[in-house]
Amino acid sequence: MDHNCIITGEEYKMKSSIKNTIRRLRFNADEMTQQQLADEVNVSRQTIVAIEKGKYSPSLELAFRIAHVFNTPLEEVFEYEPPVKEQKKKK
Amino acid sequence: MSYPEKESIINIFSGLLITSIFSWIIYQRHLNGNFDLTTDFKTWGVIFLIFMGVSIVARIIIYIIFHIINTIATQETDLPVTDERDKLIKLKATRNSHYAFMLSFIFGFILLAVGWPVYTLFIVFVVSGLISEIVENGSQLYYYRRGV
Repeated sequence: MDHNCIITGEEYKMKSSIKNTIRRLRFNADEMTQQQLADEVNVSRQTIVAIEKGKYSPSLELAFRIAHVFNTPLEEVFEYEPPVKEQKKKK
Repeated sequence: MSYPEKESIINIFSGLLITSIFSWIIYQRHLNGNFDLTTDFKTWGVIFLIFMGVSIVARIIIYIIFHIINTIATQETDLPVTDERDKLIKLKATRNSHYAFMLSFIFGFILLAVGWPVYTLFIVFVVSGLISEIVENGSQLYYYRRGV
């Protein structure tokens, strides 16, 4: 896959993101609160909020700890979205 | 608003307050003729050392007052856990602060190079210290709000 292709007259901007299903998993786990999850994985509630909103990508260790709490594989908690090419016309 | 965000705001305002009050007192003494800051560089050294001590003591007092008010307002007695996100934000904010201080420092040397008096460099030290602190805490606030 060519992520770095350059086409004359057009500018491609790379954008990637990691999506997660923590909100749904918490709901399925007897409506576990953000604070309860935060206590389980030893981080602050604000960090859980930031991860859920996609404002912070956790470290691999924290990602595994979160998956372990829900007793699910990592790929069911976090999903990697390949880079999206945003076309921008050059001025 | 989370505890680290409040802490960043308190740091910005306490930095501004302490530096402004201290600078005002020193400037008034300079005007009264207690010392001449344009030529007496030994006094600058003493002033900086006193400023460091005063700043530390004032900050401790401000932190204690802030913590008491925060505890009364939120009923939360425990300090929040510091995790990997906090450490990453702190690192990025410190990096930005160093850039700000470095640029201010270069600006000070440019002023000397174009013929400004030597005591200007000491004033630039104080201002760049304040700017770097504002940048550090402002960056923390930004990263906590907008994500990192």
